[in-house]
Amino acid sequence: MPKIMRSLHAIVLFFLASTVVLPGSASADDQDTIDYRQHIMKTMGELQAALGQILQQKVVVSPEAFVSHTETLAIAAKMAKSAFQPKVTGGESKPELWANWADFSKRLDELTAYTDAVASAARSGGMAAAGPKLADAHVCKDCHDQYRQKK
Amino acid sequence: MKRLVKLVGGVVLVAALLPNAVAADDKEVIEYRQHIMNALNEQAAALGMIMSYAIPDDNAVAHFQAIALTAKTALKAFEPKVQGGEAKPDVWANWADFSKRMNEFAQNSEAVAKLGAAQGTEAAMQRVLDALPCKSCHDIYRTESKSKGKK
Repeated sequence: MPKIMRSLHAIVLFFLASTVVLPGSASADDQDTIDYRQHIMKTMGELQAALGQILQQKVVVSPEAFVSHTETLAIAAKMAKSAFQPKVTGGESKPELWANWADFSKRLDELTAYTDAVASAARSGGMAAAGPKLADAHVCKDCHDQYRQKK
Repeated sequence: MKRLVKLVGGVVLVAALLPNAVAADDKEVIEYRQHIMNALNEQAAALGMIMSYAIPDDNAVAHFQAIALTAKTALKAFEPKVQGGEAKPDVWANWADFSKRMNEFAQNSEAVAKLGAAQGTEAAMQRVLDALPCKSCHDIYRTESKSKGKK
């Protein structure tokens, strides 16, 4: 085979190899997927914590701020399902999450409905209306018990 | 005489407890504002992943909305003059400047969120720097030691 053809073969093989999903490049994409869903879940964690402080009267905030927090919680909850759809095990997620996708997905739908209800109650009735709903956060706990690695 | 001793003792006891009561309240104030800033950080990080094409942009507008809603609550969280956490004392020494920056952040992020809702992701992404002026304020008002990994 002429030298130039061998060189061309080498170049073609090099580019083919670089486009194959090598463990390193797949891991970078996988890590992004994990990081992204953690950003969403951590957002919810921070907002839940802030709302908890408000309900326990450890801090005093305006009614508008309370509503804003509940609405942000609802927005974050809606993003969770798409963030978990790529089947990438890792982070705090148990593999069962994807093995039992129908159940996990249903729980995320319940989370969306729950946070929407909290935000709606906050808008119409403030802390008095939303507080009892927030206090009953079994939607979060039940799912974590099932699908999140213990910290 | 006994009554006087009891009265003085009671006053001394209350005075001794007061610093601790203030400290507990201060801690709550610091934690509350950290929850807000951490939520903003998580949302900004998620948006950053979308901007760098690490994650699809399906949720971009929702992230802008989450940032706008939370940004509205941030300034109030710093109003109690409680030093600590990552906030430099300059926050309150230069309150006029700090509050101006926070108000602009809230207004601009709201404008970008509305733009996204009305005209879609691409329109909002073009104004992303308006929605995320984090660094310029952090450089002045946030201590560096704990800011590793945050915007």
